[in-house]
Amino acid sequence: MSSATADRIIEVNGSPVDISGLRPVGTRAPLPAYVRDMWSRRYFIWADAHARAFSSNRDMLLGNGWMIGRPLLDGLAFFLVFGVMLGTSKGVDNYIGWLLVGVYIFSFTTRSLSGGAAAMAAGRNLIRAFPFPRATVPMAMVVREVISTFPVITMMLIMIAAIPPHASITWRWLLFLPVLVLQSMFNAGLVFYAARITAAIPDARLLIGFLTRFWMYGSGVMFSLDRFVSHPRLLAILELNPLYCVIELSRDLLVYGTTPDPKLWVTLSLWAVFTPLIGFLYFWQGEESYARE
Amino acid sequence: MSNLESHLGTELVSGDPGEEPLGPDVGDVSEDSPRKGIEVPLGGPTVVVQDLSVHYRVPVSARPDGRTEEQGRGRAVLRRLGWSRSVTVRAVRQVSFVVRSGESVGVVGHNGSGKSTLLRVIAGLETPTHGRVFASSTPAFLGINAALLPELSGRQNVRIGLLAMGKTPPEVQRLMSDVVTLADIGDSIDLPMKTYSTGMAGRLRFAISASARPDILLIDEALAAGDAASKERAEARMAEIRKEAGTIFLVSHAAQTIEEMCTRAIWLHQGELIADGPAYETARAYRWWAWNVAKGEHDKATGLLEDARARRTETPPPPAPPAPTAKRNP
Repeated sequence: MSSATADRIIEVNGSPVDISGLRPVGTRAPLPAYVRDMWSRRYFIWADAHARAFSSNRDMLLGNGWMIGRPLLDGLAFFLVFGVMLGTSKGVDNYIGWLLVGVYIFSFTTRSLSGGAAAMAAGRNLIRAFPFPRATVPMAMVVREVISTFPVITMMLIMIAAIPPHASITWRWLLFLPVLVLQSMFNAGLVFYAARITAAIPDARLLIGFLTRFWMYGSGVMFSLDRFVSHPRLLAILELNPLYCVIELSRDLLVYGTTPDPKLWVTLSLWAVFTPLIGFLYFWQGEESYARE
Repeated sequence: MSNLESHLGTELVSGDPGEEPLGPDVGDVSEDSPRKGIEVPLGGPTVVVQDLSVHYRVPVSARPDGRTEEQGRGRAVLRRLGWSRSVTVRAVRQVSFVVRSGESVGVVGHNGSGKSTLLRVIAGLETPTHGRVFASSTPAFLGINAALLPELSGRQNVRIGLLAMGKTPPEVQRLMSDVVTLADIGDSIDLPMKTYSTGMAGRLRFAISASARPDILLIDEALAAGDAASKERAEARMAEIRKEAGTIFLVSHAAQTIEEMCTRAIWLHQGELIADGPAYETARAYRWWAWNVAKGEHDKATGLLEDARARRTETPPPPAPPAPTAKRNP
């Protein structure tokens, strides 16, 4: 007790000063206080995410029409190339529906990831101007991507139902919502990692784009995994890939109207719980470093 | 003293608008009651700086003396990994002081004297090499950077800024008109912030930070661009913050601003604390020194520095007023 009191008195210029009630600056708050601080900034997270999501098309003539226009054009391109010009099915039923779900779902995660990699740089002005827990910046990026992915997912659902052979709408479409929630949680974890790593090493941003390409082939976006992986053990490892789980679940529920393998749900849920938890702790550890030049 | 001359050079080139040349009668304090910072009762310590030093490792190629050395990519990588010849620049040297709530502290000094570095360490934006800084809460920092979210309107920036400082939407609604009045940028409040001039952006940022009533507000030259009317409003607002047990730091190389807006001033020279006392006397002493430097009277200037140092060592820093027990008036 007495030593604790002694700690509270320090000597400055030869006279004692009571520093009880003061905190060393530039040090991160302990985790519970930090989380409480985050919670008190929930309106800020929403406002920042909302403003950025709806201001990114400001220079365009059609403005926010592009939130729907861009995914529509993307989808049409795939339809024209694979459905009309090539006419391939690659041994997959409803290849167009299969492909569209893969591409759109995969792009939700990659856009979050590249957004996370740019988050700290984009939030630099706010970070240097106001005191707030820095994890709100990547968190706002997660929310922003969720907001801007809504028109994309809507477009995807319309297209797979409209393009022949039409995917039939069943009650299983409702189960797609929890899949999206799990994917968003997993994305949040990725964003925290990407934000801290690129804040320390900006060059990592380029590397992320490079690695994403491999990830795409490892998730069976355009070719199904068992087409080019014959080794069963390698295939089993690849099937632990969280994005593979998200895409397979979505295809089963939306395109084929079948009940997916429970193993996919379990694997994805584990990723969705632990990635953001560990990512948040990792980001919080670097709290002091984000405002520095 | 070649360093002194290089400082002098930059100072003359940058042409300091706030600093009219002063005659030798500057030392006379009693002339027709000059404007001084508004005094408010002081409370307990809010910012404690103990034996603070900040050193930068500057690669030899970027030496302050201007001599250069070719530097390739490979060298940049080596430097990041810690393998490069470098010199240490002592930006802040063993500075200590205690600031109490209600104080408005000005920091004066030539360019490169360590003023901004000191402020950024207090803001937690930079890590000290040695020493410690304690604060009662995370300080709000107003630096020289321009727009916040350049694509968004001033009003949207106000909203996001206030939310970032932990206000709730109803509070933001209440504070909005206050911020708009204080910023006084007219209809521009609804234009994207990227269209603002530096002065307008600075005023808006000040209005946001000041309206959120932070306990500690650090200002780095942000008010220099304001006209007389907005300066007066800003000063009134700063006094209000201090009355509510807040603390203000103001960095400026225009000593006149410090004289008018602060109650206490700290004079830094090449990272060293030269003087720490009432704003008027300290700022005057600094201006008198700066005037001599500008006139090329280097011996005299050096003498003045020595005097100020000597005064500081014989009389201990300003006696900290006893912290009143019943403080924090509602």
